[in-house]
Amino acid sequence: MSEWLESAIARAQGINDWLAPKRAHALELLANTKWPTRKTEAWRYTPLRPVERTQAKVISDKIELSPVAIADLSAIELVFVNGQFDQAQLTKTLPEGLSISLGGDLGSAQQANALSVFSTIKPERHIFGLVNDALAQDVVVITVAEGVEITQPIRISSLLSQGAESHTRVQVALAAGSRLTVIEDVQAQGESFNTAFVEYNVAANARLEHYRFALQTGSNVAIGGSHFNLHDHAKMNSTIVGFGSDLSRLDTDIIHAGEFADAKLNAMYLLDGKELFDLHATVEHAMPNGKTEENVRCIVADRARAIFNGRIHIHRDAQKTLAELNNRNLLLSDKAEINTKPELEIYADDVKCAHGATVAQIDKQALYYLQTRGVSRSKAQVMLNFGFINELIDLMPNAALAEWIRPIIRERFAQMEVK
Amino acid sequence: MTEQIDKALAREYEAGFVSDVESETFEPGLDENVIRRISEMKGEPEWMLEWRLSAFREWLEMEEPEWALVDYPKIDFQSISYYSAPKSMKDKPKSLDEVDPELLRTYEKLGIPLIEQQMLAGIAVDAVFDSVSVVTTFREKLEEAGVIFCPISEAVHKYPDLVKKYIGSVVPKKDNYYAALNCAVFTDGSFVYIPKGIRCPMELSTYFRINEQNTGQFERTLIIADEGSHVSYLEGCTAPQRDENQLHAAVVELVAMDNAEIKYSTVQNWYPGDENGKGGIYNFVTKRGICHTNAKISWTQVETGSSVTWKYPSCILKGDNSVGEFYSVALTRGRQQADTGTKMIHIGKNTKSTIISKGISAGRSNNSYRGLVRMNPGAEGARNFTQCDSLLIGDQCGAHTFPYVESRNPSAIIEHEATTSKVSDEQMFLCRQRGLDPEKAVSMIVNGFCKEVFKELPMEFAVEAGKLLEISLEGSVG
Repeated sequence: MSEWLESAIARAQGINDWLAPKRAHALELLANTKWPTRKTEAWRYTPLRPVERTQAKVISDKIELSPVAIADLSAIELVFVNGQFDQAQLTKTLPEGLSISLGGDLGSAQQANALSVFSTIKPERHIFGLVNDALAQDVVVITVAEGVEITQPIRISSLLSQGAESHTRVQVALAAGSRLTVIEDVQAQGESFNTAFVEYNVAANARLEHYRFALQTGSNVAIGGSHFNLHDHAKMNSTIVGFGSDLSRLDTDIIHAGEFADAKLNAMYLLDGKELFDLHATVEHAMPNGKTEENVRCIVADRARAIFNGRIHIHRDAQKTLAELNNRNLLLSDKAEINTKPELEIYADDVKCAHGATVAQIDKQALYYLQTRGVSRSKAQVMLNFGFINELIDLMPNAALAEWIRPIIRERFAQMEVK
Repeated sequence: MTEQIDKALAREYEAGFVSDVESETFEPGLDENVIRRISEMKGEPEWMLEWRLSAFREWLEMEEPEWALVDYPKIDFQSISYYSAPKSMKDKPKSLDEVDPELLRTYEKLGIPLIEQQMLAGIAVDAVFDSVSVVTTFREKLEEAGVIFCPISEAVHKYPDLVKKYIGSVVPKKDNYYAALNCAVFTDGSFVYIPKGIRCPMELSTYFRINEQNTGQFERTLIIADEGSHVSYLEGCTAPQRDENQLHAAVVELVAMDNAEIKYSTVQNWYPGDENGKGGIYNFVTKRGICHTNAKISWTQVETGSSVTWKYPSCILKGDNSVGEFYSVALTRGRQQADTGTKMIHIGKNTKSTIISKGISAGRSNNSYRGLVRMNPGAEGARNFTQCDSLLIGDQCGAHTFPYVESRNPSAIIEHEATTSKVSDEQMFLCRQRGLDPEKAVSMIVNGFCKEVFKELPMEFAVEAGKLLEISLEGSVG
């Protein structure tokens, strides 16, 4: 076990709040968990050295930080600063049918309910998920009432000051037939360490639109997860945009717990310098007639390393499942590295499943074509790289977010080419 | 229709007979003395014994791999006998006429054309019975061409320099748990050397059979194709039907020098155990080849047997422009478990690899493809294409794909595709409408599914493989 984990466990033992039974359970599991090494399948390509040597500390002094503005996006703001829920920044009047509250402030019946579902969607195998269970500072619970459609998106921003350590946790419950959009965003100022986990329970016929932006770069360690439980006829559409840092790791789990659920996941990540980004996407088809479509695209420049593990598990009962995973990767430099593993584990016969993965470099003919039209080589490269990712940006249902992220990504490509 | 399938699935293992051959078998157990005795029986030189012992010491420190998607009770390595030889082998036969007729009948039952058929088929065979090589046919004719094809135990004496130089050069002693075990206790196997610029005049073939009870088979094959040479090698395996599990841990090493080509084909039909998973062979095999400049290694395998399979024939594409190929059909039924695939390690420039894997699962079996494609930083312009297709027959089986793709070179191109499907009702309906019974229809559909692989097999094997698949599939229409 690492020193870091030992100290984390020691700190967690001092916490006594409404989550006590769940925290105790997580600590019990952690005590029996081996610190991941290269031989640990889930961490095969992602060394944990940045965690082991992090200097980040929990900062309890109140620091003023506010999330970056996104033009044309009128969101309900939910802000964590260094892991603490900032009540002052929460949008004052919430639409009817929506409740956002600290778990500790809930009435006893609601709190008991929140406690019973806490950490039931996020699988226990994520070591840092367990760390988050044990150390989460403020747990926020969001619920949408039955049949209610919340048109304003909720933006959950986790902000970290220089050298801060934070563990944020949100629990989202969409009641039957409701609709909600959630944006998860972490912004860090350097040398920070954070774990950020969100669990979504999407009840029958409910619809969730989801975004996760992991754009912190440099010497930040960012480990997180978004975990979804889909009931009968539930629908979700998720978009993930990631830049790498010293260590960025994201786990998504989509569980088809009901029939006829429909999940879409589009993920793109763009890495530069010595960055690392590791995405583990798992889909569990536990029930029949489910549908999943995943598109993962990745561009790696300089000496960066990209890791993707896409697992689709079709259980015995999940007949008539349709599942597709498409993973495309571009390598821009001879020091960059891509490790990808699209897995299928299938126990039902009447299913249609396919995955495809490619690793290549930009099409030389396309590059040549643009050059013959008078576009400089570096410009042409940016254009082609951007085109590769832009296809996924075009699929983002929220136009304001698409228009916000598009120039940020374009800017990143321009920087990649300078080197 | 299910009934028919069940009936078909209940077919007997045709190679499950036991030959009544008097044999000399070691007491079960494994320690340094056993290794010394094996070495002594073989009259091996000192360096070979030292090599075995150092492998054994390494093995003691190693742990059994647990990452494969297979489930079996822990093997007690002390309950296995590590040497068994037909008694009549003591005075080695000089020619076929002197071989124990019972042994020859065994091979006849297996349909190995040892004598006359040989002439027609033109295949030179090295047959390995339990732990020793029984007979190698067509030696003279091969010697004329300068080709060496003999039991490895003989090669240790006759060609020590070659053996010393290449044994363990592709699969190092401590490569993995079972390879290390094999290094320590290997009993026999085939040795092939094709001299520079020679195209081996006939197909070479080895047939392996485990006959004795409680024995393990640890054979070792070493094939060296010198510069510009060409060889096609076939391998077949069977074992009698027994209630207890038997271990087969082989190592195959291929060396393809500059411009050489090796084609290695396997039809593996070890006893798969009964419907409830009782008995059967544990097939834990390490196969690997190294390709030098412009060389080519092609692995083709048809896997229908064994209760547990753990096998990843691989290519190290070290030389520029070298080519690796892997064509595989793996069929599992009953309670069989197979975790098989390949590794293609691209080191040289413009190296190319193709992987075509067809997995068919029926009954309560589990069939996994596990593969690795790695492009090293120097693999400029390297290319890989991988296709893994799975076919499920019945709703109690599983088909899985675990491909690892690692690229460290921007000019390398990797493509991976995988699909999973079942024999569709429409396909069946169409066939039945045209008067085919369900069994025939399934067999036809499966054959079509595997066609890309079968066409890579040498003619004689392609027929055998097709037939094997047909028998294995009888009645598994779901």
